[in-house]
Amino acid sequence: MSIYAVNKICYRVVHEPGLRRALAEAPEEALRAAQPPLSGDELRALLAGDVGTLSKLGANNFLLHQLGRFKLLGLDLPSYAERIRAAYRNG
Amino acid sequence: MGEIVGGVGVPHTPHFPGIVDRGEPLAGELRRLYGTVARHLTGLDPDVIIFFTCDHYNIFFIESLPIFSIGVAPSAGGPSDYRELQAYEIPIASGLARHIQAHAVRSGFDVGMSQEFEFDHPVTVPLHFLTPTMQIPIVPVFIGGLMPPLPPAWRCHGLGAVIAEAVTQLPDGMRVAGIASGSFSLEIGGPLISPHSHTGVPDLKWADRVLALMGAGQVDVLVTEANEERLSRAGNAAGELLTWIALLGMLGASSPVFLEAQRDFGHAYGAWQAGLPRPATSQELPAGRRLP
Repeated sequence: MSIYAVNKICYRVVHEPGLRRALAEAPEEALRAAQPPLSGDELRALLAGDVGTLSKLGANNFLLHQLGRFKLLGLDLPSYAERIRAAYRNG
Repeated sequence: MGEIVGGVGVPHTPHFPGIVDRGEPLAGELRRLYGTVARHLTGLDPDVIIFFTCDHYNIFFIESLPIFSIGVAPSAGGPSDYRELQAYEIPIASGLARHIQAHAVRSGFDVGMSQEFEFDHPVTVPLHFLTPTMQIPIVPVFIGGLMPPLPPAWRCHGLGAVIAEAVTQLPDGMRVAGIASGSFSLEIGGPLISPHSHTGVPDLKWADRVLALMGAGQVDVLVTEANEERLSRAGNAAGELLTWIALLGMLGASSPVFLEAQRDFGHAYGAWQAGLPRPATSQELPAGRRLP
């Protein structure tokens, strides 16, 4: 599946409080239920809050930052920003 | 026939209403800038407002991503993406919206028709400051300025001109103004963010250039320079400039009666009155200069 599955999760985070609760309480279960399904790499990166890798895989950065905005998957906006900066620091 | 009477351009930073409400240090400047533009808009005495905006992946994402679309519902609420902000139900001039959409399609613009949606903050934040009682119905014109491929600036400018044509077919005496919503240089969540935030202004030089060209009424130069590659270097939200370019297309060539930047944010506040001529010289104004 394309990176669209990651983008769709980030889109839904903005509009579905139930998904935000599920991601806070049982993130792996919530992510495994996503449709379309996430690839293994996408799932691992999301669970690790590895937004740098997801960004480099082609995830939409505007959508991706919503994970930090809603403090999901171990992120907040400062840590989100630092991980993006770190991912691109060396090109 | 209907008359285009003028327009304004403003940013829509979602934190601004809270900053003003809490009386934070920036509040006075925001009150002055939005207030100046609001007074101009009120003075135009419009019956309806054409509102140029970029959906922030809230209306269009799952089913389709139209390059252009016009909202034709009787009204729509919002903001859908910042529930903590003041909620509004915004009236839409549905009949006019359908007329403009049909005229645009027949003129060669493939403009979609959105029949049910919620507005997001790029619409509600400007209206919160400019027409807080929501007494003036709007026609929302959505321009795909955030997710590449972006529409060419000349196409957005042309869409504005076609909307102006549609307005001339309206009953006599109807006064139509425009609002453009967005930044000139802005990165949100991507690699061009600042060292201290999840946002940034990656290309202040471009934002200054936009301001100078607008100030000088050199819309044709702006349209030529605002290509997709240039906009992408100015940030992943810099395509919001296309809303301003569409507004300028609707207004026809003219200089602003007010234009002032907030350079730290990569955006500006502007006001235009229709029918004013382009300046006799093409000398550019210094960036950030306020016009009389």
